[in-house]
Amino acid sequence: MSKQTICERERSHLDKMNKFQLGNQFKKIGYMIAIGAFILMIGRKYIEDSEWIRPILHGILLIGLLVISLSKEKIEDEFMDSLRSQSYRLAFLMAILYSLAQPIVNYGLAVLFNQNDELEYFDYFQVLFFMLIVQLMFFWKLKGMNK
Amino acid sequence: MKNTLKVQRAILDLTQDNLAKLMGVSRQTINSIEKNRYVPSTVLALKLSAIFKIPVNDFFTLEEDD
Repeated sequence: MSKQTICERERSHLDKMNKFQLGNQFKKIGYMIAIGAFILMIGRKYIEDSEWIRPILHGILLIGLLVISLSKEKIEDEFMDSLRSQSYRLAFLMAILYSLAQPIVNYGLAVLFNQNDELEYFDYFQVLFFMLIVQLMFFWKLKGMNK
Repeated sequence: MKNTLKVQRAILDLTQDNLAKLMGVSRQTINSIEKNRYVPSTVLALKLSAIFKIPVNDFFTLEEDD
C-alpha cells in the first residue's frame, strides 16, 4: 500500500470520527438515561450497602450526557456545527481550569474549617461530568442567544 | 463582514423561515447571518447567490478589520 493511500485512509477515518453524530431521536434516549441514573443516584443514598452501585450509576449518567451531547439537532446545519464546536472548546478550557482550581479550593476549605489538611483530589467522574454539563449548557446558551 | 441579506430577502418578500427551508438550514442560521454574527461557508454563500440570482460579492462586503 502506497504512502499516499495510507494517508488518505487515515484522513478519511479522522473525517468520519470528526463528523460522527447520533440522530435527533437519541436526544430523548440520552435524557431518559441521564435523568434515570440521576434519580437512582439520589435513591441509592437510602439503601444500605449500595456503595458498589455508585461507579456503575456514574458511568450510566456520563453515557446519558454523552448521548445528549452527540445527538443532532432537528435541523443540523453548519451554524449548529459551529456553535457545537464553540461549546466543546469552552467546555474543554473550563474543565482544565476546574481541574487546576478544585484541589486548591478543597484544600482552602479544609484549612478554613480545620478539617483534614491533606490536599484532596477528585475522581474522573467529577471532571467528565463537569465537562459534559458545561458543554451542554454553553451549547444551549449559544443557541438561545442566536434565536 | 457585512451583508445585504435582509434587504435582498425583503425584495423577494421572503421570510427568514421560507429562506431557511429553501436553503435547508435552520431559521437561526439565517438570523445570525443577517445580524452579522455568523459568516457562512462558501457553500452557503453560493446557495444564497443561486436563490437570489445575484453574485456573492453583492451579498458580502469586507470591513476594515477583516
